[in-house]
Amino acid sequence: MSLLEVRDITMRFGGLTAVDGVSFDLRQGEILAVIGPNGAGKTTLFNAITGVYEPTQGSVKFRGSEVRRQPDAKLAIRSAAVAVLGAISTFVALNAQPIWLAAIDANYVLGKPFPWQKAFADAWTTARAVPLVWGIIPAIVGAITGAATVLALWHRLRRTPDLIARAGLARTFQNIRLFSDLSLIENVLVGMDSRLHCGYWTNLLRLPAFSREHSRSTAEAMELLEFAGLADRAHAAASSLPYGHRRRLEIARALASKPAVLLLDEPAAGMNPSEVTSLMQLIQRVRDRGVTVILIEHHMKLVMGISDRIVVLQYGRKIGEGTPLEIRSDRRCIEAYLGAEDEL
Amino acid sequence: MRARLNPILLFFAVAAALPLFFGATGLFYDAFQSIFVFALVGLGLNIITGFTGMLNLGMAAFMALGAYGFAILTCDIYPFQIGFWWGLLLSGAIGALAGFLLGAPTLGLSGDYLAIVTMGFGEITLDVLKNLEAITQGTQGINPLPRPTIGGWSIELQDERSWYYLLLVILGVAVLLVRHLERSRTGRAWLSIREDALASQCMGIPPKRTRMIAFATGSAVAAVGGALFAALLSSTGEPNSYDFQVSILALCIIIVGGMGSIAGTLIGAVVMVGMNSLVLVKIADWLGSRDHGASSNVLASPNNWKYLIFGLALILVVRLKPEGLVPPRLEGDAGAVPPQPPKSRSDAPRGGASA
Repeated sequence: MSLLEVRDITMRFGGLTAVDGVSFDLRQGEILAVIGPNGAGKTTLFNAITGVYEPTQGSVKFRGSEVRRQPDAKLAIRSAAVAVLGAISTFVALNAQPIWLAAIDANYVLGKPFPWQKAFADAWTTARAVPLVWGIIPAIVGAITGAATVLALWHRLRRTPDLIARAGLARTFQNIRLFSDLSLIENVLVGMDSRLHCGYWTNLLRLPAFSREHSRSTAEAMELLEFAGLADRAHAAASSLPYGHRRRLEIARALASKPAVLLLDEPAAGMNPSEVTSLMQLIQRVRDRGVTVILIEHHMKLVMGISDRIVVLQYGRKIGEGTPLEIRSDRRCIEAYLGAEDEL
Repeated sequence: MRARLNPILLFFAVAAALPLFFGATGLFYDAFQSIFVFALVGLGLNIITGFTGMLNLGMAAFMALGAYGFAILTCDIYPFQIGFWWGLLLSGAIGALAGFLLGAPTLGLSGDYLAIVTMGFGEITLDVLKNLEAITQGTQGINPLPRPTIGGWSIELQDERSWYYLLLVILGVAVLLVRHLERSRTGRAWLSIREDALASQCMGIPPKRTRMIAFATGSAVAAVGGALFAALLSSTGEPNSYDFQVSILALCIIIVGGMGSIAGTLIGAVVMVGMNSLVLVKIADWLGSRDHGASSNVLASPNNWKYLIFGLALILVVRLKPEGLVPPRLEGDAGAVPPQPPKSRSDAPRGGASA
């Protein structure tokens, strides 16, 4: 069964169709490479899969279902609550002074106990006595805030990157995006966020649960750094890393969420041959941990060396799919991209 | 790893010892009480702007909400009178609530727009406080406010040393809590949003909710600062004590001290507020004693120098030490390891795919 089903993804930006009806399946445990000339739509495809863009058409199913929030009763209830709250608070804001005077000022005498019940009753009477016209403005404001909430919540129903990451798809970026002022281990810990459970108050007050989770997650993060060969600099700032190591840190950070699928966007870009070799080994070790890998890559030695299957894109369309051997002998793919024999 | 003096601990140790050695005069206490209050406000702003990277130009409004909330809940001209400590706690809650309400519709806005919204919020809050006279007493301010009591012993308004230590302890607790957050999942999420919002979202961190929590937390801390500001005066003062200049002062504190650095915020408060209420006052006294005090020239009074000095300090810091006096990430951990020179095998140029 396929882990990820990409069906007929189309991505249009105005008049430009960057990705045009691309479909492919990702099987559990494989390494799939996406290749194609610059501008073929590879990164756009990645962005559509990971929710950075909402695809114009098509669907991405992960483990048989689309990762998105479903419209439910909560949406309606929350919008209605915000609408009512907006109306009431507008009403109170418009009539704050008379209500306050009637309920508080009129009833409070310094040094005497305050008659709470009478105060509430007076506040209610004053509010009731407000002419109906003054109810119109709050009603309008309430309707507007309610509608805005519906819109905002509706907007969140799209496939957002955070939801998709939490579902188990982790990614790296073409132009490395590390948290450069954080240390290496903190970068990995941010990647681990979806697996941590301590909430705000536990963290604020350092309850025992925090310490337990803290020592466990730190140990795990160190392990990942060791896996990526970066453990000796765990507490250095990410910005102090040399270029080749940043890629490795990005992979370690992505792995921290224990993803089912890892998407690597040109992991070998700008690396020298020896770094590429060690990166290949790293990717294979990642696969051996049970993570399915999709990668975009221009580096043919790496692509041919480690992928199980290859998808070839050109001008946003898929023009070939198959094992490295098949792709190497496919005339269309060679014409479109591989071209120079010496690259192989 | 080299042992490093923790600047936060150092700050509190020196602050605790200072009244014992210094000629503890009223001027000294006045200055430091105000330093501690503004350190709290700076601490709140540091969460919002320093940690999470949202420029907030309306910090004074949250201070004002804290101060007025505290005053209305505790002053004996109103029926609530819940006492100092509950008032302090609830003023923090009021600040958090205001942060949530302001944040809910606006935190989707990007940097500059958010700055304008918060600035507008500051102005609106001032106008509301001035005009809602039945509740806020307009420009008179609300007074008197209750004294804090600790187990039956109440701190008198004139007992400046007790006030000094009370504020120091409250500031210490706030610093500790903020530090807890910073060094936890919550704080890492804030920092990651500041560093790279998209990457952070792709790591599974919900951006809007995380920003809201940071905004509410920062607002709550600033509101507690505002409540203490009022408690110190035993009056909220007039609404204009919370004008735009106060927001800018808070911003100056964290820029001079170091964005995203708790120790930096404390030092920034000492430098900026100390300059204002200690050094300039001393200079004014000295000039006055030599008969140069009163003059029609605005620059003759050192109190009018403060904006010049703020501006100068900002320019100097931004020019010479843009990361602030106490940059973040040097605190306690070995993040200070200098970047090592690239080794020959790893200095491949950026970009340039090999295909």
